Order: sequence, then C-alpha cells, then structure tokens
Amino acid sequence: MKRWDLIVVGMGLAGLTAARTAAGMGAKVLIIGRGMGSVALFGNSVDVLGEVKPGTDMAESIGAWIAARPEHPYARTGWKVIAAALDEFRALFPPPYSFETAGAGNSLVPTGAGTLRPTYLLPATMAAGAAMTREETLIVGLRGFKDFQGDTVSLHLGCRGTAVSLPRYGLEGLTAQGIARLMDEESFRDGLGEAIRGQMAGERFIGLPAVLGLKDPAGALKGLEALTGARVFEIPMLPPSIPGVRIFHRFREDLIARGATFLMGNPATGVSIKDGRCEGIAVHNPPLKTEYRADQYILAAGRFLGGGLQADMERIAEPLFDLPVFQPGERGEWFGERFFQPEAHPIHSAGIVTDADLRPVDERGKVVLANVRAAGTILAHHQAVEEKAREGIAIATGYLAAKRALTQ
Amino acid sequence: MDLQTEVLIIGGGATGAGIARDLSLRGIPCLLVEKGDFTSGASGRNQGLLHSGARYAVSDPEAARECIAENLILRRIAPHCIEPTGGLFVSLPEDGHEYRATFIRACEAAGIENLPLSPREALSMEPGINPALIGAVQVPDGAVDPFTLVVENARDAESRGARFLLHTEVVGLIRAGDRIAGARLKDRITGDEYAVSAPWTINATGAWANRVLALAGPRIELALSKGSMLITNTRLSGRVINRCRPPASGDIIVPNDTVSILGTTSLRSEDLEHYDVSPEEISFLVAELSRMIPAVREERFIRAYAGVRPLVQSGETCDDRGISRGFALIDHAGCDGLAGLVTITGGKLVTYRLMAEKTADFICERMGMHVPCLTRTQPLPGAGLSHALKDRLARLRRHAPATRGEILCDCELVPREAVDAILREGKVRDLQDILHRTRLAKGTCQGGFCVYRLLGVLNELRRGEKSGGSNRVLKAFLEERWKGIRPVLWGISLKEEELIESIYKGLFNLKPEEIPLPDGGGA
Repeated sequence: MKRWDLIVVGMGLAGLTAARTAAGMGAKVLIIGRGMGSVALFGNSVDVLGEVKPGTDMAESIGAWIAARPEHPYARTGWKVIAAALDEFRALFPPPYSFETAGAGNSLVPTGAGTLRPTYLLPATMAAGAAMTREETLIVGLRGFKDFQGDTVSLHLGCRGTAVSLPRYGLEGLTAQGIARLMDEESFRDGLGEAIRGQMAGERFIGLPAVLGLKDPAGALKGLEALTGARVFEIPMLPPSIPGVRIFHRFREDLIARGATFLMGNPATGVSIKDGRCEGIAVHNPPLKTEYRADQYILAAGRFLGGGLQADMERIAEPLFDLPVFQPGERGEWFGERFFQPEAHPIHSAGIVTDADLRPVDERGKVVLANVRAAGTILAHHQAVEEKAREGIAIATGYLAAKRALTQ
Repeated sequence: MDLQTEVLIIGGGATGAGIARDLSLRGIPCLLVEKGDFTSGASGRNQGLLHSGARYAVSDPEAARECIAENLILRRIAPHCIEPTGGLFVSLPEDGHEYRATFIRACEAAGIENLPLSPREALSMEPGINPALIGAVQVPDGAVDPFTLVVENARDAESRGARFLLHTEVVGLIRAGDRIAGARLKDRITGDEYAVSAPWTINATGAWANRVLALAGPRIELALSKGSMLITNTRLSGRVINRCRPPASGDIIVPNDTVSILGTTSLRSEDLEHYDVSPEEISFLVAELSRMIPAVREERFIRAYAGVRPLVQSGETCDDRGISRGFALIDHAGCDGLAGLVTITGGKLVTYRLMAEKTADFICERMGMHVPCLTRTQPLPGAGLSHALKDRLARLRRHAPATRGEILCDCELVPREAVDAILREGKVRDLQDILHRTRLAKGTCQGGFCVYRLLGVLNELRRGEKSGGSNRVLKAFLEERWKGIRPVLWGISLKEEELIESIYKGLFNLKPEEIPLPDGGGA
C-alpha cells in the first residue's frame, strides 16, 4: 500500500494551504474532500482582521488584539506566521491577477448588500472598489441574474444604478458559474462592455457582480476597462463565489504540478487509531472502502457547513476522529435571542482546542493524537465571520499545521 | 377621512373574515379592520388541522359533534382550501386496548365515521408509523390552509360590498352614552388616524379580546394557552397521525403540502406579543412524536412557532347564550351595560364558520332583521378549483410566464412573475404581506436567499433614488426569521445557519442596530 507523508482532510482554504505548504517542502501529500470547501462559497478577498481600521498598519495593530485573546487561533500563530503564510498565498497569484493590500492595512470595499466591508488582501478585480466614490460610480446589475441585486447595492451605497441585458438572447436565469464561463469569451465580455458603455454618464468607476470569468479575470477586467474608460471592480455576492472558485482552481493546479494527490467527492468516514497515533483514514466510495495511510494528518474539515463539526440535540462532536470539542453550554445556550446582537452567538466558540503545535488536546490540555493536527475554522475560540478573519485563520493555521507536521 | 358602516368587525382572522362574509351574504354592510395582515394571530399560527372531532369524542362529545358537522360543511364550501388526507388514531402498547375501545364507542356516539384497523393494515397505509403499534382507527381528519380560507372569505365578502382595512389598528372605542358607536383607527404604516362610526362593533380578536375591551372598560375571563409546533423539512405521513390516548401534549402530526407539522404543547401564557418556543418544548415534542413516527428523531426541522389559544372560562361569561362549549358570544349590553359591542372568542379554526353564523344571527336579531345564514351551503368563490396536486400543477402551468422567467425562490420555485402580479394588484403594504401571499421564505432556507432577491425586485422600483439605506427591512426580516429558526438549530439545520450568518454578517457585513422587535401578530 502506498504511503503518504501527509494526509489533509478538507478542501477549504485551510486544507489547501496545508497541502500546498507541505508539497512546497517536498512532502508527498494526499488531500481528501467532499467538494470545493467553503472557499468556493465565501472566498472573495482575504480577510485577516476586520477590526483594524483602514489606514492603520495591520502588523502594528494585530499584536495587541491577539495578546488580549490567548485562546484565539491567532495566538497559536502570531503575526509572524500570519505574514509568512500570506506571503506564500500571494506567491501563488502572480500579477496580473494578484492579491494586494491597498495601503498598509484594511480597505473598505462594497458588498452585494450595498454595505462596505473591511478586508485585507484584494484580488486585482476588486482593487478599484476600495477607491470608488459614490458620485463617480455606476453599479451595473445583470438582468435575469438574481444573486446580485444591483439596485439594492446602488440604493444603499448612494450611487447611480442600472441594469443591462446579457449580450445573448435567452440567458435569463443563468447562474454565476454560467455567466463566469461566458465571460471567459472575449466576444461575450466585449458585448457586455458595449452595453455598459451605453448606460454611462461620465462615471469613473463601474461596479459589477463578481462574475468576471474563471480563467482570465484580469484579461476580462482589462477588456472592460478599455471599452468603458472607467475603472471596473467586482462586488462579492450571494454564494457560490466565482473569485473563491478561482482560488480553489489555482491551488489545485499548483498542487497537482507539485505531485500532490487530489481525492475529491467522497468523505473520509473512519480512522484507525493505535497507541495514540492515527494509522490510516478510510474513504468511502460505495461500494468500496479504501484506507489511506500517512505519517501525519491534518484535519481541516471546516465547521458545521463543511461537516467538520456535528451536533445532535445534546452536544457538539467532531465526527471523524471523535476529538474533544469545546462545548458552548447546553443547546438552549448555543444561540442568543437576536440574530443580530452585539456579542457573537456562543456556539461559534465551539471547536477543537489545541496545543501550540495545533495538536488537539483534551480538557486537561493533554495531546490526544500525536500525529494529528487541526487547522482552519474547526478550531475553537474564534468568531471568523464577525471578526472578518476567515481567510486569515485558514491560511495561517493551515500553513503552521503543515510546517509543524513536517518538522516534527 | 371618517368612515361609516353598519357593522365594524375588529380582527382579520378566520372568525372576523367569516363574519364579514356571513353579513355580506345577508346584505348587511360591514367593515373589517386588522392590525396586521390576514391571519396574523392564532388563525395563522395553528397546526392547519381540519378536525374530525375524534380528538374530543371521549372528553367532550358536544365539541366533537360541532367539529364533525363543520368539518363536513367546510369540505363542501371550501374544498380548495382542504386536503382530505384522513387521519389515524394510533394506539401504542403503553396506550392499551381499553382506551381504544372507549374511543371507538365515543366516535360512534358523536356520529364520526371511524374504521378500526389492524396494525398490519395501518402500517400498509402509513409505513412510517411505529411498527410496535397495537391498532389504529381511521377518522375523517384533514389538512386545511388557513390563509387561503381567510382570504377566500374576505374576497367573497369584498365582492359583496364589505370593506377591509389591513395594517390598521383600533386605538379607541367611541362611546355615545351607554353605547359604543364606532372606533378610532390608526393606519400602522402611514400613521394616519381617523374614525369609523358603526351602530355595531364586533370584537373578533381571539386572544387579543381583552386588549380591545380595555379601550372601553369591560373585561372577560379568558385564559391564554400557548401551543408550540415544529415544521419538518419533509412530509412524514400521508394522513394526520394522532395518538389514541386521552388528549395530551405532543400527540399529533399533521401533513401540510410537502412538510409535516408536529404539535403541540400547552402552556399558560400572559404575554401576547412575545412568545418563544423553548428548547424544552422542542425536546419534548421530538421525544413524544418519535414514539408515533420514529423518523421524527432523525428529521430536519425548518422552523418552530407558537400560537396562543383563547380559552373561554366556563361559568364566567354572563351572557354566552349557551351556544357552544368551545366558544363564547358575549353581548356587552347585558354584561357591562355597553350596547352595540359584542365579543366573539374561543373556538377552533374548524368552527370559525359556526362562530360567524351565531354572531351574525345575533346581530340580525338585534337589528330586527330576519335573513337566513347562507354560509352553510354557499361555496367560497374558488371552490370549483380542486386541491388535487395534478390540478394545482395544471393551473401553475397555465399561469407560467411564456418566457423562462427568473425563479426567486429555489426551494419552493416561486417565479418573479408571481411577485410582479401581487405588486400590480397594489394591495400589499410590506414585505411580510408579499411573503404571506407566495411560497417565498417557506422552504428549507426559510428566505435566506430569496428575500435578498425579493428586496432587489422592490429596490428596482426605487431606481434613481440615492438614499443610502440601512438594509433595515432585510435585517428586520432576518430577525423575524430567527425566532422560528433558533429553536431548531441542531443537526443539519446548523449548516444552513452557518451559511446564512456567513452571508449576512460575513460577506454583507450587516451589523446589529436598534430594530424594534416585530409584532407577535394579532388584530
């Protein structure tokens, strides 16, 4: 039986980062996942910590924030690891489709609800969103495409809004994926550019739903900017996320080039444990059940949505290794009375508690399995959504878990 | 703008709408005011059960006879609001054969059609029920769509001259000596206040009866009982499944289109605006009802909700005319020396028509009119439309837009055209009005995706305005949605919850703000 150096469970940003970090160190890596992971749902730009005010240096501000939260996953990594991991991430995306900060810290970019949200690294297709002004911007919706409501965006941002028909007849009801594939065709996006130009009244910025192609978004951007004479930016919208799918594809391409093995579509269903170590992971591909073995394992299966955590009516569990899970009280205490409330719902603090090495520990702090690590949002004691830290946590802990696993 | 009418009806639930139709059919002008939308009180927060009366056959034969009589009438006059599913009363080993025998005798005595079934027969009809059952009895229970029923009553009344004011609250009762001569109304959306004068005022506000009466002084003895229910993601049975034991909490599962509704609990309640479903109630319902249908334990739930039943305290009403044990018609002239004011409360959804008939009879008698009630036989306007799935699908197909339109709701396949049609009618006044009139937000994601899209459609009508809004409507919707979803958050529902929080709090960066809590409902 073939043996790997590292098996990663989960194909979200944490799992992908862990696999790539390990592959970059020359390790033989197997990555197992049911599907593309949450990066394909929510991945747009790279959030690190939303609380850091725009114009403030992230490196200078984040240290104090982490110091006040000794249980947070960032307390395991510290800024140095975050920064190194982000550099690795950026290395994967060379210009023209690169990820950059606008200044030293966060920038505010428009969303599909017409709000502004803070984020750290922007892909080239979103950079102009951080520079737009309401007087000079036209928000363009696509008729028949329901997951981006341009009029909601323009109304709330206070910009002018319009909607254009897609250049070909009968495309109403298309999905984001469908439109993105068409945007890879030059003639299609030129048609769209012409339609937008017809609606312009001297605007310098144009906001579009984030569907500017899967293969060559930078080319699409350049083409549209040439036709309209304005700076064009993508706006994040309801999932799935096309920019997130781009991230996934880029990781996969790179991992395969480095000799990693992708096992996608079937879940890991069981593990063999011996003497406090994991010996293998079973993947169920009916009717077959195959066991894969490695020296090291990283669990990056996400939270409830990804299946990394599960809850019945009594408690929250980690279904694959049955690792200890930090419990946020009884079921009645998992969520607050209001959906929007100043403090995060207690359930979000649930997850896997680890040692400094990202190895899961029990209530007494004892390492459970010597060769298993956890990374990404499955970790306890963070509020990735409200902290605007999802990608930062995934990238930094995925990176650190792989480094520690291979240098053990 | 001051108005005048013969009879002012307060409350747009089944009783109020039923009274409006009954009076209109007798040629008596009336005007109905409702604080929210139709059925925003108990009429919209029940289990959607068309009682056969079998549930009361042993404990309250009179109520049982009333139920079966109305059940049969509604099947004739409102077939399009009813799915004649039939029902089973299932005996589990711990329920014993003795109660089952008593139950069958009581059904016979009350005139309720009943068919005893062996466990094998019952399982062949309903494979989902607990195979340990020791017997079952088939009765003519059914499922009813209360919203359509109420809207149909209102539509018929309106075509005969009745007027309806929704989102309009009664803020005062106008006194003229020892009479109530009308009411002061407030439009809850525009804030406009005006008066309506009427020789007769009917308080048909159910659990809210004392709220209205407080505007004039009197008070009736009314106990409020909160009942919590749980909606499944799939339909668990073809028929209504009841537990064959003395009436108790957690003893019934009612199918409703593609889902089932589990019920209920019964807790005394005082607060009419905020009634939450507690985790204990949910655990109780799941534990009890999984005894009848074991799949309940593994089922995904999409929402929990509670309604408040108004229970009339027997012996406390001085002039209830002994018309029914289940409901009370109170003439405040006799009780409180206030002429022109009548309260009708208590009762069940299935007896709404009888309550309306008795109320209208009373008003006619006092007016000195002798006009017979027609609602016993006269079908509702849409009654020609069959409720059978194949006919409903055929109707949908006829109304489908010629071009492939946008589907706003992927869970329930609601096309944008359906919303455009409602907007063209021009009667809806807020987001919830649109949601009540479509299947939007009723599916698995409970509006997580489609309400964003619906608001986009509404914002399209405002194109050109540069308001810089606050997403207040969207946030208020998510807050309202939360009330139903929070109690069922475990298992698969947690995936949906993570998705929705990631979208609205994460991607869209919506933040808490001071939003007034939405109303609990009611007239």
